[in-house]
Amino acid sequence: MEYISFQNTVLPLSDRLFRLALRITMNRAEAEDVVQDTLLRVWEQRSQWKQIKSLEAFAITTCRNRALDVLKRAGRNTKSLDEVDDVHSAMFNVQSSLEAREQLSLVRRLMDGLPELQRTIMLLRDIEGKTYQEIAQALGISETQVKVYLHRARTKIKEGLKIKD
Amino acid sequence: MDYKYIEQLLERYWECQTTLEEEAILRTFFRQEDVPASLLPYRQLFIEEDAMANEHLGKDFTDWMLQLVRQSGQAQPEGEASAPDGIRLEGGYVCKARRLTFMRRLRPFYRVAGLVALLLSIGNAAQKSFTQEDEAPAPQVAETVNADSLQHIIVSNPEQQSAALSSHTSDSLNALAR
Repeated sequence: MEYISFQNTVLPLSDRLFRLALRITMNRAEAEDVVQDTLLRVWEQRSQWKQIKSLEAFAITTCRNRALDVLKRAGRNTKSLDEVDDVHSAMFNVQSSLEAREQLSLVRRLMDGLPELQRTIMLLRDIEGKTYQEIAQALGISETQVKVYLHRARTKIKEGLKIKD
Repeated sequence: MDYKYIEQLLERYWECQTTLEEEAILRTFFRQEDVPASLLPYRQLFIEEDAMANEHLGKDFTDWMLQLVRQSGQAQPEGEASAPDGIRLEGGYVCKARRLTFMRRLRPFYRVAGLVALLLSIGNAAQKSFTQEDEAPAPQVAETVNADSLQHIIVSNPEQQSAALSSHTSDSLNALAR
């Protein structure tokens, strides 16, 4: 039987999971809690790893669900930041929000404004360099759906960047 | 310089038709400073994504994570038997707990112990100096006061005192005086 250790299997996923949790919760401390919880859960279930196709996909799924749970528990919107805090209305209406957002770059604002699923897919593809198949597996949707959501996300970013000019 | 290839790649990127390799080419291209004006608006996207890719957890997190797993006795066989009740909370949440050695655990009491020791020694010293001062004059004063007051009692109520009582009192007085 091969020897599996926490350090060599689960721990290397932590940064990737952290970036995912961070893009969903938008909060470092919460993201850290989510990652910790995810790593422990994945590790606890190591007796069932043989039935899993990809450990990383499994970890991503767990992490995303935990992060969405955190949002839900906090009563925050899980679908999109757009609905609760529209980028443009926030910029004109709420002074503190305006100041906070001005410190973020336009790209970040555009990305943060995407619905969660689009944001997550964009992260997995552009930042983590995952294939469509890997993303589909981790999110439990078809590859076609992944492409559809990614296309929507990229189009929004493109339009947002064009308007700037 | 001809940017047609990059422009084509970018167009295919928006349409989600690029491969991961082609996206890496785009990323590398946009990392350079001199990007033509037509492509400049999109540079920030790739730069920002690079920055996001560098977001990571600190070493503290890793160390702590290893400690947590070790504490639950799962990472290594020699992992110390711990008290998981203090670490795992309801809903699978884990509270930040740190393993302490016995001496470390006692550390908060060091100060108290020191203070108590100091107070005790001061008290002891004070008591000693007071008792030394009082030792000589004290018994004399007590004796004279006793004798005076008792004499006064006897003198002021001579009729009311029964003969037996007065003789008894004077007996005890004599005994006291002796």
